[in-house]
Amino acid sequence: MSDSPERLAVETRGLTRLFDGKPAVSSLDLRVPAGAFYGFLGPNGAGKSTTMKMLTGLLRPSGGEARVLGADLSRDGFEVRGRIGVVPDGLALFERLSGAEMLRIQGQLYGLDRKVAALRAGELLEAMELSAEGGKLVQDYSHGMKKKLALACALIHGPELLFLDEPFEGIDAVAVSGIRRMLQDLVARRALTIFLTSHVLEVVERLVTHVGIIHHGRLIAQGSLAEVRATGSLEETFIRLVGEERPAGTGLSWLGPREVGA
Amino acid sequence: MRNEFRALAELRGRLLWRRFTARGGIAEGVASVVLLVIAVPVGLAFAVAIGFGAFQAVRAAGGLRTDVGASAIFFGIWQTWTAVSLTLNDRDGLDLRRFLVFPIRPARVYAMGLLTGLLGDPVGLVWGAMLGGVFVGAAIARPGAWLAVLLVVLIAFAVATVVLIALIQEVLAAVLSTRRMREWAMIGSVGVSVGFLVLLLWSADRPVRAASDAIPVLRIIQWFAWPGAFPAAAARELFAGRVAASLPWIAGLLLATAITGWLAFRIALAQARGAGSSGEGSVGRPGEVGLGLRGGRFGALLEKEARYLYRQPLARVDALLAPVLMAFVAMKVEPRIPAEAGEVVRALPLFGAAVYCHLLLQAFWLNAFGWERGGARALFLAPLDLTAVLRAKGLVLYAYSLVLFLVSAAVMAAVGKGMAPPWAFAAALVLHAAMAPWLFASGNVVSILRPKAASFAIQRNSALSTFSGLIGMGIVSAAMGAFALPAFLALRMESPAILVGGWVVLGIAGALVLRGVLPREARLLADRREEFLPAVCGDDA
Repeated sequence: MSDSPERLAVETRGLTRLFDGKPAVSSLDLRVPAGAFYGFLGPNGAGKSTTMKMLTGLLRPSGGEARVLGADLSRDGFEVRGRIGVVPDGLALFERLSGAEMLRIQGQLYGLDRKVAALRAGELLEAMELSAEGGKLVQDYSHGMKKKLALACALIHGPELLFLDEPFEGIDAVAVSGIRRMLQDLVARRALTIFLTSHVLEVVERLVTHVGIIHHGRLIAQGSLAEVRATGSLEETFIRLVGEERPAGTGLSWLGPREVGA
Repeated sequence: MRNEFRALAELRGRLLWRRFTARGGIAEGVASVVLLVIAVPVGLAFAVAIGFGAFQAVRAAGGLRTDVGASAIFFGIWQTWTAVSLTLNDRDGLDLRRFLVFPIRPARVYAMGLLTGLLGDPVGLVWGAMLGGVFVGAAIARPGAWLAVLLVVLIAFAVATVVLIALIQEVLAAVLSTRRMREWAMIGSVGVSVGFLVLLLWSADRPVRAASDAIPVLRIIQWFAWPGAFPAAAARELFAGRVAASLPWIAGLLLATAITGWLAFRIALAQARGAGSSGEGSVGRPGEVGLGLRGGRFGALLEKEARYLYRQPLARVDALLAPVLMAFVAMKVEPRIPAEAGEVVRALPLFGAAVYCHLLLQAFWLNAFGWERGGARALFLAPLDLTAVLRAKGLVLYAYSLVLFLVSAAVMAAVGKGMAPPWAFAAALVLHAAMAPWLFASGNVVSILRPKAASFAIQRNSALSTFSGLIGMGIVSAAMGAFALPAFLALRMESPAILVGGWVVLGIAGALVLRGVLPREARLLADRREEFLPAVCGDDA
């Protein structure tokens, strides 16, 4: 499928997904280089999560092809699953397990030996600053803690490719900073490829090496960060590409200051 | 005010409508209609009976019959209403947090929530029918203007009952704010209720104190149940034709209702405004090993299932319920089976226990993924054979059911007077094992086709959709019918060997069916993941 010498971690051609006959994702041609930190951006409802669900096997594509880590997803999906880590939208945590149990069992479900899984679970809990909460049920974690635990779960088996769906959504600045540092470190060490969806552009701009922008289910820009943003900031580019077409100040004329008691 | 009420009523109506028009909603709608078809005649039958009671109490116009009639009517309805509401109601309609952002006074929202809950609850119609029966019975017995006062009493009684239920729910939610306390309190209350019931039934054939001795005590106790006590007192006066004498009781009822409503609202408001962390304790040390289920993906699946079941309040209640009920059966039923009835008949209570232990866990084999929530995604993201997932669920559930049965059988043996013959225990084990694959094989299909995100509560209705519940009844009936055949043959031919042989054959057939069907069910699960995941994860709730 690839006609370039560049090694690709994710490559799709014409990837399409219809819901009730309407395209949520349409003819998507993604190219995520191996070792890249790929930011997949788009406004709400653009098709980011749908794309990620197709790439991780949670959704079946209506059309097109997808290769992940060189394997055809439609044929070798099961094999691919063991090589990727996923933090899906809504997370994938068994909330009635403790954090430590969740991590170890997750490791075992990915084929790790029990002792190895337990060892890695301890290390990951420490790295995520969750050691003190390891014995607590996941259900009782805060949202930020759950996100960190979900990230740890996605990493425990040492994936080659990490899919993160809105990892910074709904968590505080301190947690964002912690996760960001960890992800930067992983990419700097060339440990894995990261595919991340987000609409927090400032954070993404500081993290990613490559960007894809999706709007109304279609890919409208793709390339290295420098190529995509050209001379402006990522936010300016993003707004220029997907921004509001309606001129400001039209409609909603009833909005405005009114007298108290009116 | 009218707009706000209309909006709230519309909201509840739309949510109800969506439930039936959402995916799988038609089946739910049909199941609800079936239940309503059963419930309406039952409600009407009760209404007629209660109406007749009211008719007699009014006709008596005072004295013991009037007193007993009024008390029985109001305490009876109050007790049933409260028990059913506390079991079924999930407090969704009363959750103030959702409404604090709107520019409506919280007290008004709360009152409207109670009112629309009262008017919009289908079960509430049953109580309404009963109260209607009281009114009609009284009106036929003695028509007149006093009926207007009775109508006020009936309406105030309904409001008082709803308000006290709300207060109990708010207090429970506030006091038992930590999950563990809540679970233990629920289990404790079930335990106390079951214990009380057993004590009551235990003493049923012992000399009972004269009713007159108990009346002074009952008179004091009744005021704890004031939504029943005030209207009963008012109705006693009204039925006897003393309208003026009823007025203080009515005033007391209204005052108590207002105070209770205010208290419920204040607690709810404080909860809504101060919603904080649940402050749970640890369940173990990080990295603890525990359980001893070692190694491999399947071991991890077994461990996860075992831990989930162990931490499930419903499963804990079942562990409490099964031995207690079986002890009751052993104490009350077994001694009444005549010795000449034969060994097979004497073993029936034990066989019943074997089946009952599967029935108790029905919610778990009919909605096997209901408690996974977001974790269900992990089962599809990990490189797992879904057949192994289903197998692990079945094995752990079978093991738990077996433990329940063994404990129940031991309790039955300890307290029973007409002990079943020794072979019966082995036969019951065979029955228990043989029935499991049939139930689990069919339960898996229901779990995959009709999943429901279930809450970690002890209410069974929150774990199963109406439709799944009905299908479950069908599965259990069919299984019991099939397994009863060898029992009938054995009874006819007076040969326990036929019974055991029949069950062994059925068990082997079930195991083969399950073995053949599991991979297909796993494929079905994989194919349906797009519909399955939102339902289990609660995304489409």
